[in-house]
Amino acid sequence: METTTLTPREEARQLKKMKKAETWRRIKRNKMIYLMILPGLLYFLIYKYLPMYGLIISFQDYKPYKGIAGSEWVGLEHFHRLVTSSEFWMIFKNTLVLFGLQIFIFFPIPIIISLMLNEVRHTFFKKGVQTLIYIPHFMSWVVIVSISYVMLTLDGGIINAIIESLGFEKINFLLNDDWFRPMYILQVIWREAGWGTIIFLAAITAVDPQLYEAARMDGANRFRQMWHITLPAIRNVIIVLLILKIGDVLELGFEHVYLLLNSSNRNVAEIFDTYVYVAGLQQGQFSYSTAVGFFKGAVGLVMVVFANWLAKRFNEEGIY
Amino acid sequence: MSHFKKVIAFMLFMLLLIVAVACNSSESGGEEENQSDDNNSNSNEETADSDGGESSDEPFSFSLMANLHTPEVPEEKVLEEIEGITNTDVEIQWVPDNNYEDRLNTAFATNSLPDAVFLKNQTTFIQFRDAIEDDQFWEIGPYLDEFENLQKLKDNVLDNTRVNGNLYTLYQGRPLSRQGMIYRKDWADNLGLEAPTTTEEFMEMARAFTEDDPDGNGENDTFGVTDRSDLIYGAFKTVSSWFGTPNYWGEKDGQLLPEFMFDEYVQTMDFFREMHENGYINQDFPVTSKVDQQEFIKNGSAGIYVGSMGDVISLYNDAVAINPDVEYDVHNYVEGPDGEFGVWAIPGFGNLVMFPKSSVETEEDLKKILGFFDSLMAPEVANLSYWGLEGEHYEVVDGSAKVTDDQAKFDREVKPYQAIGIGEPETNGRYEGFFEYEPKAKSEELFKDNENYLIEDPTVPLYSETYVQDGARLQQIITDATYQYILGQTDLEGFEAAIEDWKSQGGEDIIEEFNASE
Repeated sequence: METTTLTPREEARQLKKMKKAETWRRIKRNKMIYLMILPGLLYFLIYKYLPMYGLIISFQDYKPYKGIAGSEWVGLEHFHRLVTSSEFWMIFKNTLVLFGLQIFIFFPIPIIISLMLNEVRHTFFKKGVQTLIYIPHFMSWVVIVSISYVMLTLDGGIINAIIESLGFEKINFLLNDDWFRPMYILQVIWREAGWGTIIFLAAITAVDPQLYEAARMDGANRFRQMWHITLPAIRNVIIVLLILKIGDVLELGFEHVYLLLNSSNRNVAEIFDTYVYVAGLQQGQFSYSTAVGFFKGAVGLVMVVFANWLAKRFNEEGIY
Repeated sequence: MSHFKKVIAFMLFMLLLIVAVACNSSESGGEEENQSDDNNSNSNEETADSDGGESSDEPFSFSLMANLHTPEVPEEKVLEEIEGITNTDVEIQWVPDNNYEDRLNTAFATNSLPDAVFLKNQTTFIQFRDAIEDDQFWEIGPYLDEFENLQKLKDNVLDNTRVNGNLYTLYQGRPLSRQGMIYRKDWADNLGLEAPTTTEEFMEMARAFTEDDPDGNGENDTFGVTDRSDLIYGAFKTVSSWFGTPNYWGEKDGQLLPEFMFDEYVQTMDFFREMHENGYINQDFPVTSKVDQQEFIKNGSAGIYVGSMGDVISLYNDAVAINPDVEYDVHNYVEGPDGEFGVWAIPGFGNLVMFPKSSVETEEDLKKILGFFDSLMAPEVANLSYWGLEGEHYEVVDGSAKVTDDQAKFDREVKPYQAIGIGEPETNGRYEGFFEYEPKAKSEELFKDNENYLIEDPTVPLYSETYVQDGARLQQIITDATYQYILGQTDLEGFEAAIEDWKSQGGEDIIEEFNASE
C-alpha cells in the first residue's frame, strides 16, 4: 500500500507529473496541429521578440563599434533627455491629436460606407463602387502626397486656380499649420476608407436574413433595420477592430507625415516617428532615438490594455 | 512515423541555426575579432593575399560605398577599365545621394561598413568625429608620403579635414565656390536690363521679370526667382553672402557667433520676404523640390536661378527642347548695400573617403586600397574615371576634355564614377572641361573669379562636441524660423525668440566650445 504513505506535498507533485504527462500526450496526439503553429511561433520569436534585445541600447550610450556588450551604461539618461526636452510635449500632443483624428473621424467612416453599401441592391453597382474605393489603398503615400502637392500648390495648383477664379484669396494649404491636420485626415480617408470596409462588409453578410424578415413583418423600415439589427450584429467586430486600431495608436504612418512635414507646420506635424527618423537615422543618435521609440511603444501598450479593459467593462469581448 | 520525426528534427535544427546566427551577428557587434567571419569580401581578400604572396598578379578585391547622383546604377565598362589598370576588383555599393546619410548611419550601426567609405559631405564627417577619435578608422597621414600621387593632395585642404592634427581621409576636390546666378538673357534684353551688380538691381530684375511681361506674350505668367526648400544650396545662402553675412559662423566683437545673429542675415530675410510678398519668387518655395525649381526656369515661368552656376548647361539642354530661342547667361558679382561683393566658400573638398578598421584589417590591405586611390589620381586613370574612354565618351580639344554629343550615354556610363575620384585637376592632372556652350565656359571662369571674394567658414578646423551631437537638430529651429519669417508667419520678435530657444537648448554651449577651441 504505497499510495497511503504519500504526503500531501508528494501528492501534489504526483498530480503535477500526471498533468504534465497528460499535456504531453495531448501534444503528441495533436502533433500535426502543433506543427502547424510552429512557423507562426518562429515568426514572432525571430522577428518580434529577438529584436527586442536591441532595446537595451536605449539605456546605453551606444557606440556601434563597441557593440551592445561594450557600450557604456547610462540608465535612464536618454528618457530624461526626451521628457525634459522642449519638443517633447509638442510631439506628444501632435501624436495624440492625429491619433484622435484617426479614431473619431476616420474610424467610423468605413462602417458608414459598409452600411450604405449593404443597402445597395444593384450588385453590379455595389461591386463597382467597392472596387473603386479600394484602389487608392494600393497607391503609395509618395504618390498621394505628390498629387495633393500638385493640386494645392500656390504656383499653378488647380485648386488655388479655382479658388482665385471664384474671386477668393488664394489659400496657402501647404505652408500653413491650420491646414495640416485636415489635409492629413482627408488623405487618410481617401486612401484607407474603402479598404477598411472589407471586414465590416464580411461581418454584415453573416447576419441572419431571418432577422430582417421578422423586422420587416413588424413594420421596421430600412433605417430601423440597420440600427437594430445590422449594427448590433457587427458590434463585436467593431470593438475588436477599435482595440486593434488603438494598438496602432502611434503608428500614424511615418512616411505620410514625413512627406507632409515642412518648416511651417512642424509645430503640429512633428510626431514620434518623424522625430525618431531624424534623430536616429539622419543624425546618428542611435540610443536616443531608440529611447524615443521605446517610449512610444510603451504608450501604445498602455492604451491597448486600457481599451481592452474598457471593452470588458461594457460587457464586450476584448481581444484577450 | 519516422518520417514525421525527421521533419521535427529538421525544424528544430533550423530553429537552432537561426538562433545561432542571430547570436553570432549580435556578438560580432561587440567583438572586433569576429568580424572576418561575417564579411565574405574580407575573407576573400585574405585568401587572395596568401595565394599570390607579395608580387601577386591576382587582382586585389575590396568594397567601396559611394553616392550615386544619377537615377540608375552605371554600366561597368569604365569601372572594368579602371580595374584592369589598377589590378583590382572593386565592388562598388551605390547609394542614391538622397538617402546616403541613412544608409551610412545604418551601415555604421550594424557594423557593415565596406572597406572604403565615402562620406558625402562635411556634415556627415562631423558626425563621425566621435568614432574617428575612438580610433575606428585608419589614420592615413603617415602613409601618404609613400604614394607618388597622394602626396600631391593640397595641404591646406587636408588641414581642413584633420582631427586633432591627424589625417584620416582623402578628399575629392571641388571648386571653392560655384555659387552665382543663372538668368534669362533674352528676357533681360527684351526689357533692356543688364546683369545686376547690386542687390537692388537684383530686386529690380526680379520685379521686372514678374511684372513687365519679359517673354512678351501679353500674359502675366512669369515670375522672377525660382527657389527650393534648401536654405544652403538654394538661393538664400548665396544671397546672404552678397549682403555680407558670414559663412555659417563669423566674428563679432571678438567672439565667434552663428550667422543668424548677424544683422546681415536679417537683411537677407527681409529681402526674401519682400520678394515673396510681391510674388517675385515662387510662393511655395519652402516645399519646392530641386526638380520643380529647375522646371520653373526651364519651362519659362521664372527667369532667375541662384545656385551653382555650372547647372546652366543641364538647364539649357532641357529648356531648348521646350523653347529653341531660350538664352541663358551666368553672373556672379552682386554687391550688397555696403558696396562689397562676397560669396561663401566650401572648405575645398566635396567628398571624403575613410577606411574603417572594422573592415580593413591589416596595414597591408590599407596600403593596397590607398594604392588604388593613388593610381586613381594618376592623370590617365583620373581622366578615365572623370571623362570616360577617350574617343567614346570624350575628345580632347585644346588640351581640355569635351564630352561627345551623346550626353545621355555619358551620364549613364561615366558620370556616376566622378563620385569616386580623388583630388582636383591641379593635383590629379585630369583634363579641365571644354564647353562649347558659352555660358557654361563662362561659369568655369566665374568659379575662379569667385575665389577673389570668398567668405570662409572659420569653424572648419574647430571642434564643438555639442555641435556634433545636437547641431543639426538645433539648426532646424533656425531653419524653421527663417522660413516663417520670410513667409510673414513670424516677425523679428519671433525670430529672436527662436534664437533664444536655440541658445537655451545648447546653442550657448556651441558658441562657448567653438570660441574655446579657437
